Amino acid sequence: MAQRVDPTFMKSLEKFGVKDWKDCFHCGNCTASCPLTEEDYQFPRMVIRQAQMGLKDKLKSNLDLWMCYFCGDCTKTCPREANPCEIMRSIRRFQISAYDWTGLSKKFFTSTTWELSFIIGIGVIVLALFALFLPPSPELWTNPALFLNEQGGVMINNMVESISGPQFVKIIEYGDWTMAVVVGGLLISNILNMFYLTLLKDKSLHIPFTAYFTEFWKLIFHFSTQDKLRKCDDKSYWVGHVLLMTGYTIMFVIIVGLLPKFQIEEIVPWYNWQRLLGYYATIGILVFLIPVVIGRFKKKKCKLKHSHPTDWHFIIMLGLTAISGILVHIFRITGMPIATYISYVLHLAILVPMIMIEVPFSKWSHLAYRPFAIYFAALKKAGVEKEKVEPTPAFA
Amino acid sequence: MNKKDLIGIFFNHPGNGQISNINYDELKSYVSSFNFVKKVWDSDDSPLLDRSLMVSEIQKIGITRLVIVGHDTGMVKAFFNSVFKYMGLPVEDVLLADFREHGALERNDTELAKAILVCAIYNVPFEIAAKPGTSDVCADTLVIGGGISGIQASLEIADANQKVFLVEKTGTIGGHMAMFDKTFPTLDCAACILTPKMVEVGQHENIELMTYSEVQDVSGEPGNYKVKILKKARRVDISTCIGCGTCSEKCPSKAFSEFDAGTTLRKAIYIPFPQAVPNKYLIDAESCRHVQGKKCGVCVKVCPVPGCIDLDQKDEVVEITVGNIIIATGFKVFDPKRAEQFGYGKHPNVLTSLEFERLINAAGPTGGNITYRTKDKKGNWVFTTGGDVPDTVAIIHCIGSRDENYNAYCSKVCCMYSLKLAHLVKEKLPDAKVYEHYIDMRAFGKGYEEFYERIKKEGIKIIRGRTAIVESTNGKLIIKSEDVEKGKLLEKKVEMVILAVGLEPTDDAASIAKMCGIDVDGAGWMKEVNYVSDPVNTLSGGVAIAGLCQGPKDIPDSVAQASAAASRVLQNILKGKVSKGISSLTFSDIEKRARELSTIKYD
Ligand SMILES: Cc1cc2nc3c(=O)[nH]c(=O)nc-3n(C[C@H](O)[C@H](O)[C@H](O)COP(=O)(O)OP(=O)(O)OC[C@H]3O[C@@H](n4cnc5c(N)ncnc54)[C@H](O)[C@@H]3O)c2cc1C
Ligand code: SF4
Ligand code: SF4
Ligand code: SF4
Ligand code: SF4
Repeated sequence: MAQRVDPTFMKSLEKFGVKDWKDCFHCGNCTASCPLTEEDYQFPRMVIRQAQMGLKDKLKSNLDLWMCYFCGDCTKTCPREANPCEIMRSIRRFQISAYDWTGLSKKFFTSTTWELSFIIGIGVIVLALFALFLPPSPELWTNPALFLNEQGGVMINNMVESISGPQFVKIIEYGDWTMAVVVGGLLISNILNMFYLTLLKDKSLHIPFTAYFTEFWKLIFHFSTQDKLRKCDDKSYWVGHVLLMTGYTIMFVIIVGLLPKFQIEEIVPWYNWQRLLGYYATIGILVFLIPVVIGRFKKKKCKLKHSHPTDWHFIIMLGLTAISGILVHIFRITGMPIATYISYVLHLAILVPMIMIEVPFSKWSHLAYRPFAIYFAALKKAGVEKEKVEPTPAFA
Repeated sequence: MNKKDLIGIFFNHPGNGQISNINYDELKSYVSSFNFVKKVWDSDDSPLLDRSLMVSEIQKIGITRLVIVGHDTGMVKAFFNSVFKYMGLPVEDVLLADFREHGALERNDTELAKAILVCAIYNVPFEIAAKPGTSDVCADTLVIGGGISGIQASLEIADANQKVFLVEKTGTIGGHMAMFDKTFPTLDCAACILTPKMVEVGQHENIELMTYSEVQDVSGEPGNYKVKILKKARRVDISTCIGCGTCSEKCPSKAFSEFDAGTTLRKAIYIPFPQAVPNKYLIDAESCRHVQGKKCGVCVKVCPVPGCIDLDQKDEVVEITVGNIIIATGFKVFDPKRAEQFGYGKHPNVLTSLEFERLINAAGPTGGNITYRTKDKKGNWVFTTGGDVPDTVAIIHCIGSRDENYNAYCSKVCCMYSLKLAHLVKEKLPDAKVYEHYIDMRAFGKGYEEFYERIKKEGIKIIRGRTAIVESTNGKLIIKSEDVEKGKLLEKKVEMVILAVGLEPTDDAASIAKMCGIDVDGAGWMKEVNYVSDPVNTLSGGVAIAGLCQGPKDIPDSVAQASAAASRVLQNILKGKVSKGISSLTFSDIEKRARELSTIKYD
């Protein structure tokens, strides 16, 4: 593949967060100190080189970038303070926008206005839908006791006039499913595009069919364990990521698959599975979030020194989701119907845009792309190796 | 020029969080005393410069000339140029009075800043208004530092029949060069070049050598400096010591040898090295049992010369008068403990280049054999002849240099000395594998690139890509690096690692500079008048600098600069006059001269 050198490319990467791209003098210190780089992959220096030369297509098809878990070890001793870990992450943002065929990703990464308008827009739509179709029953004000069950908790599914509890749950559940289908569809189509850009496009690559199955475990394994992150100097990154990822996944399963079992009228004892799972997920998210927020303010750890606007959006949305969810819970068990209704609606008005924007287009998507990249890289290797195993004999 | 000149002044404060202790308020109240200064702006009041606003203000007052005064004035000059161009005024009338000039900034010197400003107001170049006067010169010269630079400068002046006081901090002259076996690029024997010069210094009738001494205070003025020199108690009488070494043999107390870069031990009563000048013993107070209050005195008993050793000798201060001073205090090497990732201090076989210079030196602790560092009976890590011999050696470049975390500058000599060391390893251990890891190979001098080419052919693996980490498993060292040219990750087992440490100013460089009334730059190197056109003189009259104290350079460059410094001194002596330097002028002198020379009419 012919490659053109494009020195202006780095300039265009600035919007994705690259700041110090001119500084690197290619000493190789970062690659050598990265705990995750291996013989087969070469980063971060090689990637910085490709970026400096503006090899756009190479970068789009580069899977190495995703082998980096952004631990920041490389930046610690870079003699030029070129901040290689930050460059890596910024180029991943560029890749995410390359995978996203709708073009929205690029808009969100490069323009705060775009991302905020979408987040707020979707939030307003959620509020409007509630106001129009699921308004609170006036009796919430006149006769709040009507909405309490025998344990004194709020009957959360009965707060809308003329809609029964099971009906309400069904409506929300259908809403969740719609969201899941849209988000999942977008994400999957983006992953397919990634598959095309990183593997299919390279015509010289022949991936053995069996590899798709034999390597599949890597996808599941790395998604659920975040194993590579464990090699980084600071183990707390790994703990934080595992907690967040599992908390997030549990919440997703509860909401999309088990809502009728989860969003119930009676207040079950704290040790019931519904509450335990909910608590785990909330704690997981908070334990991840609090040190990150503190770190981003302190700017001491090199990986948290530079915050892109999308980082803050993600953190704020996640934080608000967690806080509003906790409030719903508190209001519900302490028997405050009006507060429960309001916080419930707000919770959804934050949660829905967060999932719609973050999962397929923005910061969250790395949680999906990264294990897929590991899977694709394994496929690529299997393809390359197959060719190696069967060299054409020179004299046949 | 008879036209009426009306002046506007723009005060530019330092940006980007820099702080300055120059008193802007004092400057402002000073300029208000001029009746032709019609307007004063301040960058703090008008951070955003608006051209049309500025044009209208200037036109209203009828300003014809503008002075930008303060920090980073060049940054706003373009703006005022465009204003002047727009109004059809000559841009030559936008003048800069920048505090970075003439050292006002470094010294936080408001008086000097005021002088720079007044020259701009009167439109007289500072150099012309602030021409220091001259004074008569005392013909004697002080040279501080007895490395190759100080030796060279002293010999040249002394050979011209002028008296030199050479003050050296340690017990011998010779400096770093005396520690080396060979010098690049010719691989000449360092001692063969240096020792004759050292001996000559020791015997020269015009050189008064004061070793184990330090300059304590400099007062007086150019041409006539009064210098207080602290002669540390050597406790051995130089004039009677016959250098037999009996005392040292019997002395029970040991300490790490400075001359051997801490690679081996010496006695408390010692001679730095066999060719030391003066070739006499001295006692290190810190390790001597007697001085530390314990019972000893063995050396006194065994010394064959009665009265030669005086364990209770006190420090002494002598005062001399000199006309000129040459500073040649050299450098210290970067302490690699500051960069933990290279494992220095953790793994005994990670060495600094300076330690390795001693190890490979035929006169060093192992007689020139490359061996492992071993623990002696007392638990000290030292090199001895008995140690194992490594079969893989890695040299890592740019340790503490070209690194924003330590020193951003290139230390200039370490690429070349690394090549030299690689060659010496191959010479001693032809079967050893030698790796050299560099970022860029800087072979900058006459015959240096050729030297590099020659070394490349000696079977040394020279790899582009600095090593990032030195670790150890089971006693073996592992170095991790990237071969940048091949794009390959390397993890190699080696047995010895040499760190090509960079060069840094000595700890007392700043205080020596201050005593002599000169500045140091941001990194701490001594500051010359102008790096390009006058790299030898300083802002103080009669004070010149030579060698590494000014900044990284190799021996040939140090020697050349030392000769230049000597010639500056001899010029002054021949003329019998020395410039007093800018620091000799007061603000009112400069103001007066500027007013006299100015063509501006004021009432
Ligand atoms: C490992 C290594 C290998 C090198 N190899 C080579 C080589 O092969 N070829 C080459 O050209 N260059 C080489 N260099 C560079 C060379 O060492 C310097 O160029 C040279 O030593 C500079 O000489 P100098 O006299 O200016 O400084 P120095 O050699 O540092 O001498 C300064 C002297 O001043 C004394 N002093 C310091 N402070 C005071 C004070 N306050 N009062 C009194 N005295 C003081 C010191 O004790 C010392 O004796 C090498 C450098 C290193 C680190
Ligand atoms: S990013 Fe830093 S450590 Fe990495 S190659 Fe560039 S300069 Fe070296
Ligand atoms: S951030 Fe961590 S994983 Fe990524 S390149 Fe740097 S050291 Fe490697
Ligand atoms: S008095 Fe000091 S120098 Fe003399 S022998 Fe004892 S310890 Fe050594
Ligand atoms: S001379 Fe070579 S080793 Fe020394 S700092 Fe410069 S580039 Fe690095």
